[in-house]
Amino acid sequence: MNRAGLRRFLPGAITLLILAADAFISVRNHADLDRLLINGILALSAFATLHARMLSLANAGFMAIGAYASAILSVKAGLPVTLSFPAALAICGIVAVLIGLPVLRLTDVYLAICTLGFGEVVRILIVLLPGLTGGPTGANLSTGFPYEAMRRVDTGMIAVFLAMLVYLFWTMAPSKTGRAFRAIRERPQAASTMGIDIVAYRSLAFVMSALIAGAAGAFYAHSVGSLDNGDFRFTRAVDILGYAVLGGSGQWFGPLLGAGLLTALPILLRDSLGASIGFLRSFAQLPNILTGLGLVLVIVFLPGGLAHVFRAQVTARRPHALPPGRTGEGHAVPGPGVARPAPGTSALLSVKGLGRVFGGVEALSGVSLEFDEGGVYGLIGPNGAGKTTFINLVSGLSAPDSGTITWRGREIQGHRAHEIARAGIARTFQGVRLFDEMSVLENVVVGHHSRVHTNLASTWLRLPRETREEKAAMNEAAVLLARLGLSDLAGRPAGALSYGDQRRVEIARALALDPRLLLLDEPAAGMNDAETASLGSFLLELKRRGYTLIVVEHHMDLIMGVCDRIDVLNFGRLIAQGTPAEIAGNEQVLEAYLGREEG
Amino acid sequence: MDLTLLADPVFLAQNIVDGAARGALYAVYAMGFTLIFGVLDIINLAHAATFTWCAFAGWLVMAQLHLPLPAGLIVSMAAGAGIAVLLELLAFRPLRRTGSDRLSSMISSIGASLIMVSIAEAVFGVETRRFPDSALDPRPFLLGGAGGLRVSRAQILIVAAAAVLALALGFFIRRTRMGKAIRAIAANLRASRLLGIDVDGVVVITFVIAGALAGAAGILVGLLSNNIAPGMGAQIELRGLAVVILGGMGNIEGAVLGGLILGLVETFAIAYLPGGSDIKDAVAFLILFLILLVRPNGLLGRKSAVDA
Repeated sequence: MNRAGLRRFLPGAITLLILAADAFISVRNHADLDRLLINGILALSAFATLHARMLSLANAGFMAIGAYASAILSVKAGLPVTLSFPAALAICGIVAVLIGLPVLRLTDVYLAICTLGFGEVVRILIVLLPGLTGGPTGANLSTGFPYEAMRRVDTGMIAVFLAMLVYLFWTMAPSKTGRAFRAIRERPQAASTMGIDIVAYRSLAFVMSALIAGAAGAFYAHSVGSLDNGDFRFTRAVDILGYAVLGGSGQWFGPLLGAGLLTALPILLRDSLGASIGFLRSFAQLPNILTGLGLVLVIVFLPGGLAHVFRAQVTARRPHALPPGRTGEGHAVPGPGVARPAPGTSALLSVKGLGRVFGGVEALSGVSLEFDEGGVYGLIGPNGAGKTTFINLVSGLSAPDSGTITWRGREIQGHRAHEIARAGIARTFQGVRLFDEMSVLENVVVGHHSRVHTNLASTWLRLPRETREEKAAMNEAAVLLARLGLSDLAGRPAGALSYGDQRRVEIARALALDPRLLLLDEPAAGMNDAETASLGSFLLELKRRGYTLIVVEHHMDLIMGVCDRIDVLNFGRLIAQGTPAEIAGNEQVLEAYLGREEG
Repeated sequence: MDLTLLADPVFLAQNIVDGAARGALYAVYAMGFTLIFGVLDIINLAHAATFTWCAFAGWLVMAQLHLPLPAGLIVSMAAGAGIAVLLELLAFRPLRRTGSDRLSSMISSIGASLIMVSIAEAVFGVETRRFPDSALDPRPFLLGGAGGLRVSRAQILIVAAAAVLALALGFFIRRTRMGKAIRAIAANLRASRLLGIDVDGVVVITFVIAGALAGAAGILVGLLSNNIAPGMGAQIELRGLAVVILGGMGNIEGAVLGGLILGLVETFAIAYLPGGSDIKDAVAFLILFLILLVRPNGLLGRKSAVDA
């Protein structure tokens, strides 16, 4: 293992050491150790969703399903645990898909609300089906779940499962899938403009979470040896959330840390203090109060959780050594695979009668424009003229209320952002939306998302394809960074860069999509004159390479210097169009725009 | 389903009365909840815990101090306002300062809720308490003799209180200067601050109103079901969420409409479906799930539910 790998591994190793110490100090019997391990599994189930910026409170519900399903199948149907366990997981997966379908396309809070209700319904069903589940008082000796028949797992099996999960999350973190999750977690909109299908990844995360919680439930049933629907109350969901939030949901070891602390502390209190301090013993609510306090305090004061202490090195992969001869100024920017449109076909992009209304205000109204391949187009206008709205509509972040957007002969209005990104339209954002916690190199590699042909199987099995594809993406990203003079910064977290550098990284990330059309929303904002001038020459080089550019900018020198044509918007309407010279002399434009710009 | 029941007009009327009272109660609870979401984009999952503490405040005043119902109501609403302001100051305002997203405020409210419920369990124990009969005469009015319609004083009070509170809140939001400030913040918090609105002050007022509504709901629940326990919040939490989503998140008229619908549907499910009383707790979730499936913005929706 090289140094970079070791550094990546270190936080995890420390966490495991702490967990081991916790266990060694506090665990007096196997029941406690089982609980510690099971809570660790539960913590990872919360991590799976939080990691994709979803708050799911369904973990307790899926845990209940896993527990009851495996108990019923093994004890009542007589299946061996080796069959009842995967069957229970399959049931959890199916339920997760059914629950997730309507909810995952909605905004974040709806998932939380729906899953909160789901947990309650599972408990109601358990109570309503006493023949199957033993009813409200639970599955115990009297209702056909003999303790001896239930006790089917030992601590070792749970530990092996947890270790396996750790491996899965650990190897996933620096993979295509892990990057997509982290991108969604930091900036969902920017992630979708990188070609990442947010709904698909959220569905994956939700199902993963359900399977893991179901597994924890099955282990729980066979470890405790009896079941009570009260074990899966909302408090349980909050506990699980507490593990992940307290430990930190940015990296996989955070939730484990949280679970270790929140499980071991009460055990420690019980074993060492409880005996001597009667007050604590009687105060059964203390663990809950501590969990609650922990949630509030961590969210307010330490949003990254305790794992933030280890954040010096995030899971970011260090840049590979750049291949010789492929670095530095003057190297080719990869062109957009210049296949000119067949003769006779129309513009690369054309919009007709485009309109968008926000709360009664026409942000854009009846705008029709054509953009030919290889041109550089300036889009200018006063604040609120509809420029960013235009970019958002073309890039699919919002859908037009009227009009059509035709891209290479195909209407794309209303398509989702990741589809449009994959079709060859990339964009940058007005206020820079990088994935701040990722390295600069990783940001650019996210841009390669739809061109990296790996999946979880190749990641987990360490197939040769995984290494090959990852290395190729890293190398291409490194070349892009070199061209933009950013090689030195490749390993730095993007959030730590200066504003000007962040803008350049954002352009590199957009280019990584291998687009034909690049939409730049105020690329020179926050740049000084020298930086703007160098940006200008870079844009011209992109043009030479065959890219088509639409540039929204207030910086007139830049616009006048690089654009073939300038379109002027005011109050959502197109008021002028022409060459830079024509626009500079246009009375209407001067009045609407330049005239009001001081200096 | 028992068809003879369908034909019985008294039974039908009885269920409408019961359902309306139940629904009015949900409406009072949900109005405060949806107000906070509409103004601040915060899903305050500690609203139910606030409600629980308010019911206990009312119980202390009426059952322990033997004061009359109006005193209980006033103390309960004041307690709700106070708790809600504490929540704002300790659990929400610090997050607004750091510009956290709404999942953070939701998690913070879950933590606060757990603390509040746990303390209630530690202080009051888990057993059920009741308001004294002296608070409100429990004997119902009988319309049409012994086999006729039974309407309790609590039901009349709940419906009347819900109507008064809904109208007062509507008037306050639409017609007063403070209401205008609240709507401005709901539309755009940052712009409101730039325009010189005392955002923090107005937000505190918003929490006072929401908390007072939770307080009123706490007393009304106590009168209707006479079942006050630390776990009572869990009963209404999910229903409140279903009501708010049914009506449209952040929409106060929607909360009233959604409350009435849920109250009626639950009551009719219990009355007309076999095993209805067993599934009544699941009705809220079914409604919630269906509405998310077919009309995620709710019946009178305002805020967009679908991701851009």
